[in-house]
Amino acid sequence: MDTVIDAHNISKVYNPDTIPVHAVNNVHLHVERGEFTALVGPSGSGKTTLLNILGGLDHPTSGNVVINGTDITHLGSNKLIDFRLHNIGFVFQSFNLIPVLTARENVEFIMLLQNVPKKERDQRVVALLNEVGLSDKMDVRPAQLSGGQQQRVAVARALASKPQFILADEPTANLDSASAFNLLDIMAKLNREENMTFIFSTHDQRVIERARRVITLVDGSIASDTAQTKTD
Amino acid sequence: MITTIAWRNIWRNKTRSIVIMTSVALGLWAGAFIAALYWGMGQERMRIAIENEIAHLQVHAPDFTLEFTNIPAIANVNELTAQITAMQGVKAVSARTIAMGMLATATGSAGIQINGIEPNAEAATSQLKSKLKEGTYFETKKTNTVLVGAKLAKKLKLKLNSKVVLTFQDKEDNLVSAAFRVEGIYQSYNTALDERNVYVPITTLNNLLGLQHEAHEVAVLLQSDDLTPSVKAALAAQNPALKVQDWKEISPETGLILSTMGQASMVFVVIILLALAFGIINTMLMAVLERTREIGVLMALGMNKLKLFAMILTETFMLVMVGCPFGLLLAWAVIQLLARKGIDLTAIAGQTMQDFGFSNVIYPGLPASQYLQIVILVVITAVVSAFFPAIRALRLRPVEAIRG
Repeated sequence: MDTVIDAHNISKVYNPDTIPVHAVNNVHLHVERGEFTALVGPSGSGKTTLLNILGGLDHPTSGNVVINGTDITHLGSNKLIDFRLHNIGFVFQSFNLIPVLTARENVEFIMLLQNVPKKERDQRVVALLNEVGLSDKMDVRPAQLSGGQQQRVAVARALASKPQFILADEPTANLDSASAFNLLDIMAKLNREENMTFIFSTHDQRVIERARRVITLVDGSIASDTAQTKTD
Repeated sequence: MITTIAWRNIWRNKTRSIVIMTSVALGLWAGAFIAALYWGMGQERMRIAIENEIAHLQVHAPDFTLEFTNIPAIANVNELTAQITAMQGVKAVSARTIAMGMLATATGSAGIQINGIEPNAEAATSQLKSKLKEGTYFETKKTNTVLVGAKLAKKLKLKLNSKVVLTFQDKEDNLVSAAFRVEGIYQSYNTALDERNVYVPITTLNNLLGLQHEAHEVAVLLQSDDLTPSVKAALAAQNPALKVQDWKEISPETGLILSTMGQASMVFVVIILLALAFGIINTMLMAVLERTREIGVLMALGMNKLKLFAMILTETFMLVMVGCPFGLLLAWAVIQLLARKGIDLTAIAGQTMQDFGFSNVIYPGLPASQYLQIVILVVITAVVSAFFPAIRALRLRPVEAIRG
């Protein structure tokens, strides 16, 4: 198997000098390419903090995160930004598309940052938006899209940079059932057909049922890490 | 894409953007208009100095000083004036004799400068004839006639045909007194000069001074201001024994006024732009703070700090640059209109302007180089104003920004 994430002894303590809050506590995590993994747990269990650390958006208080052979824990700010650009795709709970750009431009934007040639960009944008079923909404701005459609654009955007893996923080939390199922189908298909690694935090039982691996966090620590045979 | 995002971001809050664009336009208009007003005043002062007082060039004997004591005379002045008249670029030449003395009437007296002039040559060189308010311009057959300034006439209660006695020292330092009749009263744009200058025929004054074919000064009016350095150089080369000076050397205060006015107008422009800068900073800071989450997302996705900085800078730059042409156009239109009509300050300033050698009517104007200078200042303002919001954006940590 091909290791994508190797996190050792990760801890994150907020307010260490006043009232310490242990958001993540000595977490060891090993993720292989092609996993479809759910991080579950009650609110405040440290799911988002752990995702942020794995995504290089936050630094752990101790421990280290190795992604595809690179220890990102001690990378400088600019190097970390560059690392994220080329290695990690993000899907946020509230979609977070750039409101002034169309669906096409939102997806293309990442590739522009990567200096991908125009012809390649154009082809990939069309392919990705087709893949998420939004070929008819390419020139529409986020405000004119439904929540589900926006989240599908966000998935296409996350895929645009050809990342090592995609981190999705509560991707279905703001979606109705139909949109949530639709999004999960797309993510599962990408995982199955393109071997794209997905790690998502969720409360949503529908999402948990689709995951092949479920990691349960309680008070910042891994309470259980189970493989599920029943997938999509 | 950065340009696209920046441009579209401007129009997210149309009202706010239009307000700041209007501020830029009005600020630019105000700055350009003040600069034009000062420039117009400076040019007017220069024109008055050249066309009424000094001319472009003056030729004196080598030991002439601006102190006007024991003024040395130029010999064979007729040959000199003929030579200068024949030079290319010369419009008019006037020989003058000068004596410092006293004008006395039955009721009072005043210290004055007596200028002996060739009436026709002087009329072509300075605007003395056109400034005549009352009387005639050396048209009587009498030789002892004098033109006095309106201010002096008022001070000494002089009227046309009033008798005055001029007292001064002749060539041999003997005290000479002669009676003159007031033939005309003139009023120029410079009341201070009007008060201390009187004009008499050069032949009359030369006779009294004991001068023959001599003059103290030859004033040279050129066809264009730009010809001043070249004609001055040619004249000096042809007459190495004489002192050739341009109007800036003769009247350094006029040159100083011009440069001071240029600097003063720029100070006003900078103050206006400074006020504008605070408006821009405020607007852009609001824009950045409103988009904290969005900026966090951009950083999370991989937009580096340089590109983020460039985006905020571009946005500010565009915001300013959209207002800029409107401001320039407005300024240009207003300046063009007033350059033709003039701004008459008589009702506000009364005689004050003329007391300092300025016309009461100002014709604003601004050379293209000054428009460019103002635009450059606006660009600098935009860039400097963008720094604070941009730095604020760069300090955001993506994880905190996304969390909001």
